[in-house]
Amino acid sequence: MPSLEHIANLVHDWLNAQFSPGLALFFEFFIIGVLIIGLFSILGLVLIMMERKVSAWMQLRLGPNRVGPKGMFQTVADTVKLIVKEGMTPDGVDKLLFNLAPFIVMIVAMVIMAPLMFAKNFQIWDINIGVFFITAISSLSVIGILMAGWASNNKYSLLGAMRSGAQIVSYELSAGFALLTIVILTGDLKISAIVNAQSDGWWIFKGHLPVWIAFVIFMIAVTAETNRAPFDMAEAESELTAGFHTEYSGMKFALFFLAEYVNIFVVCALGATLFLGGWQPLHFGTGTGFNRVMDYIPSSIWFAGKTFFLIFVIMWFRWTFPRLRIDQLLNLEWKYLLPISMFNLLLATLITIMGWHF
Amino acid sequence: MSITQILFWVLTAMAIGSSLMMITRKNPVYSVLWLIMTFFAISGHYLLMNAQFLFIVNLIVYTGAIMVLFLYVLMLIDLRHDTEPRKNKWLKFAGAVAGGCLLLVIVAALKDSDIKSNVVQTGEGDIGLIANLGKALFNEYVVPFEISSILFLSAMVGAVVIGKKE
Amino acid sequence: MNALLISAVMGVLMMFSSFMLKSKSAVRNVALAGMFLILVANILDTYGWHLFNIPTEGMMHFDRFSLFFNSIAFACTFIFFLLSARDMEKVGINYAEYFSLIFFILCGIVLVASFQSLLILFLGIEIISIPLYILTGSDKRNLKSNEASLKYFLLGSFSTGIMLMGITLLYGHAGSFDITVLIKAGEKPSSLAIAGLLMLLFAMAFKVSAAPFHFWTPDVYDGAPTVFTSFMATIVKAAAFIGFMRLFSTAFYSLHDQWQMVIAIITALTLLIGNITAVFQQSIKRMLAYSSISQAGFMMLALFALNGTATEGLFLYVAAYSLATIGVFAVLIKMKDYTFEGFNGFARHHPFLAAVNTVFLLSLAGIPLTAGFLAKFYMLKAAVEAGGFLWLVIFAVLMAAVSVYYYFRVIQAMYFKEGDAPVSMEVSRPFQWVLGVLAFLIILLGVFPNALLYWFYF
Repeated sequence: MPSLEHIANLVHDWLNAQFSPGLALFFEFFIIGVLIIGLFSILGLVLIMMERKVSAWMQLRLGPNRVGPKGMFQTVADTVKLIVKEGMTPDGVDKLLFNLAPFIVMIVAMVIMAPLMFAKNFQIWDINIGVFFITAISSLSVIGILMAGWASNNKYSLLGAMRSGAQIVSYELSAGFALLTIVILTGDLKISAIVNAQSDGWWIFKGHLPVWIAFVIFMIAVTAETNRAPFDMAEAESELTAGFHTEYSGMKFALFFLAEYVNIFVVCALGATLFLGGWQPLHFGTGTGFNRVMDYIPSSIWFAGKTFFLIFVIMWFRWTFPRLRIDQLLNLEWKYLLPISMFNLLLATLITIMGWHF
Repeated sequence: MSITQILFWVLTAMAIGSSLMMITRKNPVYSVLWLIMTFFAISGHYLLMNAQFLFIVNLIVYTGAIMVLFLYVLMLIDLRHDTEPRKNKWLKFAGAVAGGCLLLVIVAALKDSDIKSNVVQTGEGDIGLIANLGKALFNEYVVPFEISSILFLSAMVGAVVIGKKE
Repeated sequence: MNALLISAVMGVLMMFSSFMLKSKSAVRNVALAGMFLILVANILDTYGWHLFNIPTEGMMHFDRFSLFFNSIAFACTFIFFLLSARDMEKVGINYAEYFSLIFFILCGIVLVASFQSLLILFLGIEIISIPLYILTGSDKRNLKSNEASLKYFLLGSFSTGIMLMGITLLYGHAGSFDITVLIKAGEKPSSLAIAGLLMLLFAMAFKVSAAPFHFWTPDVYDGAPTVFTSFMATIVKAAAFIGFMRLFSTAFYSLHDQWQMVIAIITALTLLIGNITAVFQQSIKRMLAYSSISQAGFMMLALFALNGTATEGLFLYVAAYSLATIGVFAVLIKMKDYTFEGFNGFARHHPFLAAVNTVFLLSLAGIPLTAGFLAKFYMLKAAVEAGGFLWLVIFAVLMAAVSVYYYFRVIQAMYFKEGDAPVSMEVSRPFQWVLGVLAFLIILLGVFPNALLYWFYF
């Protein structure tokens, strides 16, 4: 059965047969770049469409239904509109930083993709600190946001950027602690090792109480980290027009928008990898017929399914919860989530040392 | 030159160039951004030395946390205009002389030392990997490691003392 | 190790006491009890009763030198708490946190006194410095306090940076942080090591406020709340000196001839600048800041000489200087007006306070029969024994004579000027008792220095 691993190996062998190793490596880099950019555009199209459909469904309305079958090409039309629109650079902005900011946010989103394991043995870079790499790099996106907010020379933009900075810096902590719970249980930071450790059951089943707590905290924290409602203080429309991208238009605005959705994908993929077993299929017990059936489903489908399930949960949050005030938001993190995740970390350590997980 | 060497020199040039840019910019926000570039270049050096954990720690601590807070503060207080006060010419001169002396001493010190042959250890050595670092930290260096918690605790108490409303 | 762990735990305990204990006197009593406990634990440690047994991998060495100094520092802190703990209430609302920070500083003092690895030295210096930056700026509504704190923080971080650079270069030379193997005796050190040595020398000179690295001292000591000035001008400065001494007598002893000249110049400059500038001050607090610089000059003589007499003399000097300065500051805190005029006629209204204050000032000036005299005497003797630099000794004596001028100005104001010497606070009877004991101690040490130095050997 042709899996993604199989295809990747074929390409690798073919390139190495045709060219010298250095050149082959270069071509592989190139292919990965093209694939990532392709993934970005597909994700953008799919996720925005999904968001609109989900929100419509939640609110008992139809959503986009004019362009294409059931409105499926609505995002394509929107994208075309954004591309052909004039990219304005208002007077009084800091030109360099203003134009640079969307690209920084975008590049950060791209780099995070590196250690993600999309299917069985299908990964760009199995760095030995994979989880930590993702946390660290994702914290850099705040620089782009701050740059955008400050360079716009607009008080709404600046306030939005400040809020988003405070929010990302704060919620990184709980997200990090939630990840650490899994790292402690696995004993490794490598993504592949974490996924392999779940071959006899996902951590959410094996790790019981501490992992459940960590999972809930993780979902809350990443929602905040990606600046999504109910934590979208950075762009609270009713208060700050559009937050840090008030002054942006055209393709530069589209890049911010795209980066937001790609970030959602990345954090959900991370959640799926750590808590829901990555590409590992759902198994009950050992050697039953059910497990055999599950094994027939390709690993990439498992990974995508879990990721999109988590994305759906995050969208669900957005359309069912009212927005928090900024002080409530910071209180939630520093007074509740952080202490809870610290105690949870202790609990996880205890459980790991005593071997109380399954 | 191998790829590693080319990368080494590119990163070095980037580090020096962006730190020069950092100290010559008038606008402090630009300075901070150039400093971030410098940190990236230095992190790249860690990666070349196969110290992936240090690479990412350098990024998350300096770029992701400290520099973000710097940016945060600098952007809140509007320093867009040239508000830097003019310095005394003689003071500048004295500073240049003192800095030049320091440079001379360090260059002389490094020139004489016996590390000329092996400028940088690239791609080999695994002390920077997290498992080895953890073992060193929790065996040999466990006392300073634990003591540093007192340092952080006192800084936290200090932050509360300074930040609490009276 | 006893004192280190107990003072760290006390710091945490004080944090909790800020919301567990309602009354301020309860907080104060907990702090006093904890301080006493630390002192006792350290004395037990000295005589072989180790409460904790932690392998430090040769990074710390609790020898008689460090434990003896710890005892002096803890005793001085205990006296400081007895005299001035009540006055800390007036600084701000975070009463318990101030104690907590002071206990953390004591941890740093233990580290600086007993390090055997540059890593621990760095940690100790930082643990001392960071709480001090906070304590300096704890009077938040006073602009001068804020300015002092920021200035101290910026310059302090800069000097820490230089220190780290020095440590890096030394590590590059030796491949180890251990100060006993940094420089091998009889071997010509590389210029890497020399550059590292110089950087460490400058950074430590900053921490002990020796000229020309003293510029932060007057502003910081003047701007900080007076209670905390009292603490950082005495115990903390003494600890920095002990660390300085430990570093240079262990790590760089074999290079003594090479850096002796640098130390001699720094000493002479410190004495000159400290004493001459102190003469022109109008505020007693600022005068005491400069006086602390000039006293640092005398303590630098111990580093210059680096022999047995110097070690003994440094202990005596540290004790004499700390006790006298704590006493002077304790009286100063009670005053409304910090200028010399503020002390006019003090003797008539508070004869006892004026008398003990005179003892403290005489000791600082180095008048015979006080501890200060013998301390200075030991220092000069050590410098003479080291030989070769007679001009430095003569210069130091000259400067000691200059210092008499500004200390006697206070005495003159107290006894021979007319005025009402406004006192801003109640002077309680226990406070006077403690001051009396302090004055007695100073005279005792001035007559029998062996009452202290005996314990260094036995």
